[in-house]
Amino acid sequence: MTAITASTVLRRRQDVRYRRIEDEAVVLRQSAAEVLVLNGVGASVLDLADGRRPVSAWIDALAEEYGADRETVSRDVLEFAGEAAAAGLLEPVPGIGEPG
Amino acid sequence: MSLARLMATAWRQNLLVSVLVELTYRCNLDCFFCYNDLGLRGEPLTREQYFQLFAELRELEVLHLTLSGGEPLAHPDFLALGARARELGFVVRIKSNGHALRGELARRIRDEVDPFLIEVSLHGATAATHDRQTRVPGSFERLLANLAELRALGLRVKLSSTLTAWNEGEIEGMLDLAGALELPLQVDPEVTPRDDGDREPLQVTPSREGVLRLFRLQTERGRALGGEAPLPVRSADEIAPAPAGKHCGAGSAGLAVDPFGNVYPCVQWRRPVGNLHRQTLKEIWQGSAGLAEVRELTVRAAEVVGAHGPRASLLNFCPGMASVLSGGDPLQVYSSAVQRKELLEEVLAEEARRPLLPVIF
Repeated sequence: MTAITASTVLRRRQDVRYRRIEDEAVVLRQSAAEVLVLNGVGASVLDLADGRRPVSAWIDALAEEYGADRETVSRDVLEFAGEAAAAGLLEPVPGIGEPG
Repeated sequence: MSLARLMATAWRQNLLVSVLVELTYRCNLDCFFCYNDLGLRGEPLTREQYFQLFAELRELEVLHLTLSGGEPLAHPDFLALGARARELGFVVRIKSNGHALRGELARRIRDEVDPFLIEVSLHGATAATHDRQTRVPGSFERLLANLAELRALGLRVKLSSTLTAWNEGEIEGMLDLAGALELPLQVDPEVTPRDDGDREPLQVTPSREGVLRLFRLQTERGRALGGEAPLPVRSADEIAPAPAGKHCGAGSAGLAVDPFGNVYPCVQWRRPVGNLHRQTLKEIWQGSAGLAEVRELTVRAAEVVGAHGPRASLLNFCPGMASVLSGGDPLQVYSSAVQRKELLEEVLAEEARRPLLPVIF
């Protein structure tokens, strides 16, 4: 499994569909016929996972959005990104921002 | 927050989550109890109008898009519309009779539409019964061959059936057949009138004993699986929400569109709330007086149903069904709903009387 760092660039997997409802999101992973509910931060991460910006940009955006300490946000986002990748929601973009 | 509570929020706040589009009423089968109004006339939506509709649905953040009919594959632009739905990121479902789902077309649907689920109709456990209902000889054998092909292609398939007087004696065989095919089977115990109010399909309404037998079989099979009912694949729009102050999501989280652009609160509630030849979907969703009335009616329906006690949900009451059966009153609780509740309560009582399994040390 690829280690997720602040320089990793992630994108939503092709079979992930989601809908935001208030601050949360209903997420459906087609291949697994699985429905999940993500909290506000998780929903924002799905929005941000466009395959262009590195995780560090997500951290900046979320720290500003929630007015939270960057270090805390960084820890939470990296942890969530790792879990989301393991759950098949996100995947690294080959050749962009992968750790050496 | 749980998914049920999230869906309840969608109902309360009128957030459109799920849309069913009937692309055409053309069909390659001729089912006796088909609910479509085949006499309905109008200007069919063009490919460009569908693209515009899908774009609007994307703007409204719709999650589920179901392509239905008639037989949706009979629409000449089916693949192009399905591919556009996929591109826009919808969870695409296809409701089909399965008759044309084979060969090159099946492969292209997998590759170009990538549906979350294909719901295919099964009408019996034998060719005699299935073909009697479809009124097309050979449709059963062809369906079985097509289902094998769909599975080999890796497509996700669910079988759907309506319990009728003609197939109620084969329901065990149908469940066995679905099991052998390793496909979930959802059986609807209610035959409905046609969308124009024609009651001819009610001639094949299943018997009380037939419905009771279905409920017992479903319960037994659920128990045999260790308490987990053999539920079909479900998606977010099929989750029963936590109390939302509304009876259902008709017109609040869902809509249906017919081939001529008429918009309805639900596929079963044929009360037009707008037409896409005259308005945009967004205009209808945000400004239709008819839709506002429907939303209010679902609030009142929750009160009507709630008066039936703590197990009122067993009625599985549908305002659309009530409207067509009563000649226009969506709040009138109909006899088949009452029967359904009585029979389910009977089965629940039987389950409660079952002795606990002995524990052997």
